[in-house]
Amino acid sequence: MIRHTALFTGYELKKSFSNPIWPLFGLMQPVLYLLMFAPLLKSLTPGGTTVDALRMFTPASMMMIAVFGSLFSGFGLIAELRNGSLERYAVSPAWRPAIVLGRVAKDMVVLVVQAVLVLIGAAAMGVRIGAVELVLVLLLMAATGLFASGLSQGLALTVRDENGMSQTLNLFLLPIMLLAGLFVPISFAPDWMKFLAPVNPLYHAVEAGRALFDGRLGDPSIPIAFGVFVVLAVLTTMWSMRSLGKIAG
Amino acid sequence: MKELTSPMIIQAQGLRKTFTTRSRKGAQTVEAVRGVDLGVAKGEIFGVLGPNGAGKTTTIRMLATLIAPDAGTATIAGHDLRKEPAQVRRNLGYVSQAGGVEDTTSARAQVMMAARIFAMADPARATAEVLDRFELTELADRPGRTLSGGQKRRVAIAIGLVHNPPLLFLDEPTTGLDPQNRANLWDRIRQLREAGTSVLLSTHYLDEADALCDRLMIVDHGTVVAEGTPSALKREVSGDVITLRVSEPERAAETLKPLARETRVDDDLLRVYVDDGEHTLPALLRALEERGLGLTSIALDRSTLDDVFLAKTGRSLRDAGAAV
Ligand SMILES: Nc1ncnc2c1ncn2[C@@H]1O[C@H](COP(=O)(O)OP(=O)(O)OP(=O)(O)O)[C@@H](O)[C@H]1O
Ligand SMILES: [Mg+2]
Repeated sequence: MIRHTALFTGYELKKSFSNPIWPLFGLMQPVLYLLMFAPLLKSLTPGGTTVDALRMFTPASMMMIAVFGSLFSGFGLIAELRNGSLERYAVSPAWRPAIVLGRVAKDMVVLVVQAVLVLIGAAAMGVRIGAVELVLVLLLMAATGLFASGLSQGLALTVRDENGMSQTLNLFLLPIMLLAGLFVPISFAPDWMKFLAPVNPLYHAVEAGRALFDGRLGDPSIPIAFGVFVVLAVLTTMWSMRSLGKIAG
Repeated sequence: MKELTSPMIIQAQGLRKTFTTRSRKGAQTVEAVRGVDLGVAKGEIFGVLGPNGAGKTTTIRMLATLIAPDAGTATIAGHDLRKEPAQVRRNLGYVSQAGGVEDTTSARAQVMMAARIFAMADPARATAEVLDRFELTELADRPGRTLSGGQKRRVAIAIGLVHNPPLLFLDEPTTGLDPQNRANLWDRIRQLREAGTSVLLSTHYLDEADALCDRLMIVDHGTVVAEGTPSALKREVSGDVITLRVSEPERAAETLKPLARETRVDDDLLRVYVDDGEHTLPALLRALEERGLGLTSIALDRSTLDDVFLAKTGRSLRDAGAAV
C-alpha cells in the first residue's frame, strides 16, 4: 500500500518536473502575489506599513495557493481517463487508492515548496514568525491543499469532462474567494458578508493563518480551522478514492 | 504463482452486462453482453470478431476485472474472477482500445512504471528488453504525444507485456494502422504464441481474425453467433461462394437451388454457396442459359468469415457496423 502510494507520488512528481517550465510558473505565482499585492494593500491596512500589509496578506496568499493550485490538478486525471492509462492502472496489481493518493501527495509536495518560497519572500521583506506558528501555518496550508486536491480528483472522476469540470470549479471559486476575506479581512466587509463568511471553510483557514502570523496562538480560530479542514480533507480524499470505482463508466 | 492444472487459461460462462444511461430523454438500458460463454486454451490466440457495438470491449473489460458482470462466472489463470480479482490482475496484460499511452511522459518512464507496479526484480532491465523487442529504443525517451499512431500502439503493447504475463488482452490492436504496420503487428502477436503467451484479441477485421487466430468467436448484439477455428467455421457455411450479377436474381435463385447448398439474394447480387465451385460452375452457367437469364458478372471465391457472419445473422459484417 505505502509502496504503491510512494511509487505513484514519485511518478507524478517526475511527470510534473519533466518539463520544468510549468512547475516554475506554479512556483513563481505565490512570490508574484506578494510582490504585486503587498504595495497595493498597504494603503488599505490600518497600520499602514508594508510589513503590516504582508502580515495580513501572506497567510491569505498561502491559503489561496493551496486552494487554487490543487483544485485544478484533477484535470490531469480527466486526460488519463480519456487516453486509457487510468484504466490500465486499474487493471494492474496497484493498490487502487494509490493512484489517487499519489496525485494528492504530489500536490502536497508542490505546495510545501511554494509555501517555503512565500515564507522566504515574506521574511526578506521583514515579516517575522515564531517556529511553532510556522509549523502550524504549514500544516494548515497542507490540510487546505489536501481538501482541495481530494475534491478536485473526486470531481474529475465524477464529471469526467474538462468542460463540465471548469464550469463547476468556476461556479464555486468566486464565492469562496470573495467570502474568505483574502485581500481585505472580513471585519471590514458589509454585514451580509460577515454573516455568510463562516459558511465558507476557506474563511476559517485565512483567519487562523492571520492569527498565527500575528503570534496569537490562543486564538479560537486556530482550532476551528484545523477541525474544519481535517474533517473536510478526510472526506474529500475518501470520496476521490471511492470515485475510482467509476473508472470504467 | 500457483501451478496451473487446467489446459484453459480463460473459462467463462453466461457473462452478462446491462448498462443504464441517463439522458434528457430518460433512462435507457443497453444489453451490451447477453450470456457469453468462452474458453481460451493456454498458448492460443483467441479472437472475438464482431461489428461496432457488438459487446467486444465490454466482454474484455469484464474479464479484465474492470467492470463487474451482472451475471455469469469466469476462471482466469486458475483464479475466480469475482473472488480473486487481485490474483487475476497479476496474470494479465491489458491493452485497451484507447491504448493508455500518456502524453507527457516518455515511453520508457511509462513502461518502467508498469514494471515497478508488477514488482519486477529488475525493472530497468525488463524495460530495456521489451523496448528493444518492439524496436522502440530509439523513440523511448520522447514524450508520448510526439509518437505516431503505430508507434503508440507498440508502446501500449510493450507496457502490457513488460511483466511477461501468461495472458494478454488486446482490444482492437490494429485499428487505424496502415497495412504494413498491421502485418508487422500480426507477426509480433504470432511471436507471442511461440513464447507461450495466450492472447485474447478483439477485432472487426475479417482478414485479421482469419490470419491471426487459432480459434475465434463471432459476436453480434451481445451474443455468440458462432465459434470455432477459422477454417471449420468457413467449412460449416460452405466450401465456395459464387457471386452472380443477374437480371432476375429471384428467378435465378429458384433455378440454381438444386445445384447449391444455399442461395442468398442481396439486391441485384445472388450468392450461391456450393461445396466445389470449380466443378459446379459449368452446370450453373448451363442452367442459367437454358432459362434465358442474363448474366452481367460472375465471381468464384472461397467463402470468408463474412459469409459465416452473413449466414448466422442475415447481415454482412461490412454493413453491420453502420446499422448499430
Ligand atoms: N459505459 C457504458 N455505458 C453505457 N453503455 C455502454 C457503455 N459501454 C458500452 N456501452 C454500450 O454497450 C454496447 C457494447 O459496447 P462495446 O464497447 O462492448 O462494443 P464493441 O464491440 O467493443 O464495439 P466497437 O467495435 O465499436 O469498439 C454498445 O451499444 C455501447 O453503446
Ligand atoms: Mg470496442
